[in-house]
This record gives sequence, C-alpha cells and structure tokens, in this order.
Amino acid sequence: MNKESVRIKKIKLFGDRVLEFARIYYRNKYGLAGLIILTFFIFLALFAPFIAPYTPSDTFLAEPFSPPSSKFLLGTDELGRDIFSLLIYGTWTSMTVGVLASLLTVIIGTFVGIYAGYYGGIVQSILMRLTDFFLILPALPLMIVLAAILGPSIWNIIFVISIVSWPVTARVIMSQTLSVKESSYVEASKALGAGDTYIIFRHILPNVTPLIFAYVILNIAGAILAEAGLSFLGLGDPSHISWGMMLYYADQFGALVAGIWWYILPPGLAISLLVLSFMMIGYALDEIINPRIRRR
Amino acid sequence: MGLREFVFKRLIDGAILFFMTVTLNFFLFRVMPGDPTAFLIENPKFTAETRKALLKLFGLDKPLWEQYLIYIKNSFTFNFGISFQYLAPVRDLIFSVRLLNTLALMIPATLLATILGVIVGTVAAWRRGSKFDSTSTFVSLVFYSTPVYWIGLLVMLVFAYYLGILPFRGSITPGIKYENVFQFAADYLWHLTGPLLTLTLVNFGGYLLIMRSNLLDVFSQDYIVAARAKGLSERTILFSYGMRNAILPIVTLTGLNMAFSISGAVLTETVFSWYGMGRLIYEAVNQRDYPLLEGIFFLLALMVIIANIITDIIYAYLDPRIKY
Repeated sequence: MNKESVRIKKIKLFGDRVLEFARIYYRNKYGLAGLIILTFFIFLALFAPFIAPYTPSDTFLAEPFSPPSSKFLLGTDELGRDIFSLLIYGTWTSMTVGVLASLLTVIIGTFVGIYAGYYGGIVQSILMRLTDFFLILPALPLMIVLAAILGPSIWNIIFVISIVSWPVTARVIMSQTLSVKESSYVEASKALGAGDTYIIFRHILPNVTPLIFAYVILNIAGAILAEAGLSFLGLGDPSHISWGMMLYYADQFGALVAGIWWYILPPGLAISLLVLSFMMIGYALDEIINPRIRRR
Repeated sequence: MGLREFVFKRLIDGAILFFMTVTLNFFLFRVMPGDPTAFLIENPKFTAETRKALLKLFGLDKPLWEQYLIYIKNSFTFNFGISFQYLAPVRDLIFSVRLLNTLALMIPATLLATILGVIVGTVAAWRRGSKFDSTSTFVSLVFYSTPVYWIGLLVMLVFAYYLGILPFRGSITPGIKYENVFQFAADYLWHLTGPLLTLTLVNFGGYLLIMRSNLLDVFSQDYIVAARAKGLSERTILFSYGMRNAILPIVTLTGLNMAFSISGAVLTETVFSWYGMGRLIYEAVNQRDYPLLEGIFFLLALMVIIANIITDIIYAYLDPRIKY
C-alpha cells in the first residue's frame, strides 16, 4: 500500500469516528438542548450590532427605568439605555471572557499536569502541594483580591480567573498522565530510544486530549459565573457591558426596592441559560468519553 | 498508622498550608504592587505620625527578605495595619460581630444544604431513572448554573417587594430598641431567612449529586447483592447498608465545600447587606481599602484550612478503613 492510500484510509476512519460521535451525541437530550441554546447565544454575540435595536451608548436620559414597551422591549435602565440591547451586547463579553479564561486555564493545567505526572519526583510533590493549596483556598475572595490589585480590565479578569482555576485541571491531567506513562507502548517507545518530548507529544497528549476537551467546556461554565460574580461586585471592565455588570448597576440604583423586575430578571436569566448550556454539553461529552456512566 | 499519628500529620499539613497562605498574602500585597507604601500607608486620612508608625511596623524601608520575616510575625497576631475607611486596626474590624454574623449564616446554610442534599439524593438514587430522579438532577444542575446573587435578588423581589413578608436588607432593623432577648432573636432570624434560603438553595445541588452517585456506587457492591440474597428488607438494605456507606464522603465534601460556600456567602451577604465578612470584602474592594482586604482574605483562607483539617480528622475517626 502506498502512502497516499494510507492517508485516505486515515481520513475515512477519522470521518467515521466523527459521525459515530455525532450519532451518540445526538441521542443525548441534555447535550442536544445545550448545543441549541449555545448556538443561539453565539449567534447573538456575533451579530449583536445587527440584532440590537440600539447600542450601549444610546442613552435616553428623559426615559430612565421605563417599563417594557414596543419602543424598549425590556424597558430601560437608570440612564435610559435599552436593556434588551445591553443584554445582546453583553453576550459577547460573557462568551469571550468565558472561552478565553477557560482556554488559558486548561493550557496552564495541562502543561503543569503533564509535566508533574511525567517527570515525577520533587517537581511532582511541589506541584501537588501547590494544587492542594489552590484547591483549598476560597476562589472568589482570591479572585476579588487579585482583581482589586490589578485593576478593572477584561484581560485582567481573564488572567485572574485562569490563575485561580487551573489546579483542578492540573490534578486530573496529572493522574491521567501517570497512568499513560506506565503503559507498555510508552515503555516500548522508550526502549526504541524516543525522547521525552516525542513521547509527551506522541503518546501522552493524544491520550489526555478527550479529557482536556470536556474540561474546557465545563471550565467555560465556571469562568462565565466567575466573570459575572466579579462584575456584580463592581470589579468588571466598565468599557465592556456584561450581564453581571447590569445586575451590579440594577442593585446600585435601587431597581429592587422600586420593583423594576425588567432590569433584574433578564441578565440573571441569560447568565443562567448560557452556563446551563455549557454544563449540559460538558456532561454529555463526559458521558460519551467515560462510557462507564452511560449505563446509569 | 493510628488516629493520633494521622491527626499529627494533618496538623503539620495545616501548618505548611498556613505558611503558604502567609507567603501568598505577602506576595499579593507587598511584592506584586509596584509600590507597597501606596497600598498600606498613603492614605490622605492618615496623620504623619501614623504613617511613620506604619512604615516602622511593616519595615517597608528594609530589604524584602526582612519584610517577609516581619510579615510572618505580624500574621500570627493578625497585625495587618489600619483600615483606610474605618481608620481602625484591621484586626479589630475582622474579629468582631461581623465574623459571628457570617458564621451564623454559613453554618446553618451548610447543615441545611447537606441534610436536604442527602435526603433528596437518596430518594433520587433509590428511584433511579424515575421522573423524580431526572427532575431533581436537572434542578440541581439549574441551581449550580444560576448566580447566587441573582437568586438573592429574586428572593427579595418575591418575598420583600411583592409579598412583603421578609425585610429587604440588613441583619437587624435599624434604630430599633429591643425590650428583651427574644425580640432581638426574632428580628435577627427574620432578617436571616432570606440569605439562609438563598445560600441553602445554591449549595444543596452539589450534595444531592454526590449523594446520588455515592449511593449508586454502593448499590453495585457485592455486599448489597449479598444482603438482597439474604432476603433482607429493602428498608434495611437502604438504611443500614446503603446510606451508612454513602454518607461518609459527604463529611469530606462539607470541608472541601467550605471554600465554595465562602464564595457563595460573600455574594449572598453583599446582596442582602448582611453585616458580615462577605459584605466587608465588598466594602473594602469598593473603597480600595487594601489593608482590610488583606486581613479578610487571610482570615477566610485560615477558616477554610482549619475546616478541612477538622473534617479530615472526623472522617478518619468515622471510617476505620481509612488510615493514610
């Protein structure tokens, strides 16, 4: 067989696996529902300027806190801004922070986890101690402290979230690396004279990738909640409207005591739905990757 | 290894974690900001003498390693300087009625969430695949995905604004004169209801899911099959064989969950203006009161570490199989 036909076969095999995956995923009703909600939010985030009737800087100062009407679908906030439009623009912030923070978290976690698991020894015990330490520390107060010191910017929030949440990923990746390291094919590669870098990229990384995938998704859910929490505490980036920040302003300007439900309900509902969609997708992936759970 | 050695080992671990916390705090508040004096001393409200005294207290004119030693010494006595906004020692601010208020919110919320989670989780696992099972799993997923403070806002919107049966904010009615202790207790509990409900709702989902999966694990064990074969009643199997074994890991979870619970408490307290540590963090952040922030973070981290050691020891005591 020549090289070309091997390559074609490989591609076909890969295609079959993707199809098989899609079929199992389609049968999972949580996963499907999550994917539909997520697609909706991605659409909102990407096409915000075309969907939203106003922009975040359009203020109708004469009409603050006006109730939902045909002019303002979800009413207005304290500056007379259209809440429906703010909600749509806020999608982008939540998504971007969630996805980037999660990617950074998993990159740090994977690097540390593989390094600790593969090399072992003193590096491993120091990393274990460090992850234990970070796992025990109360996450939100640590994020608050870091965000307060670094100052409000969207990049600082991404950094703060990932620096506090990487240890969980590192833990999981490390234990997976430990078991792959002991396998016979790694031993065989070593016997053939393969270097550490080759083994890590050729054998360890492909084996931990499915796990990484599920963790990225589940981490996004956590990161979105963290961003919303920090913004609600007034640590958000004022130049990027986000759902947590909307709730912060709603709370600050007494929307509650005045019973302005149209300012309080939509942002929380949006956070909840987006996080829920990621959680459902994450669980569906986890179920497919760890078939042991499937029979439950 | 006996229980005594285990306790000793955990205490040493605790001491190491304590020093790691001190080091992290030193790094965050002394090394990371370009100019630590701006973080500790440069408050326009401080007099020249106060500034001089603080400079001496923290040894900010000395080399970094000497500052670190001074910092360790100060950490033992919770000497974190003077709060920017309250102009009082941080130590007096954190060891006050605020700490008691936070504990009065967190401990009952954790207990309630555990009990609720264990009960609902048991029923869900017992009737696996039923409507009750899928609904409760989904509901706990929803509560996990929902921001705590938003639930708090909803609780207030419904119970305070529309129904008018709960107060809006605070931990006691301001300006009220109590005639006796019972009146105070009633007022306090009335204010506690909202935050307690919120924090319990948010925390219980995690316990439910863990209890459910623990029980399902236990049910697949050989001794359950043996118990069934012996003809024991389903009740005996569930209570004496199933729950007894499934409930143990919940103890450890309660300790580990302290960190999660504190994050929830910070947000809940902020929303309800509950006069506790969480609310204090919020104030410290908004006023950029760094010495106060430093003190609160240190105390919260310490609380979590201590809670973890205690639950580990309780777990080792309850489960004789586990002797590390």
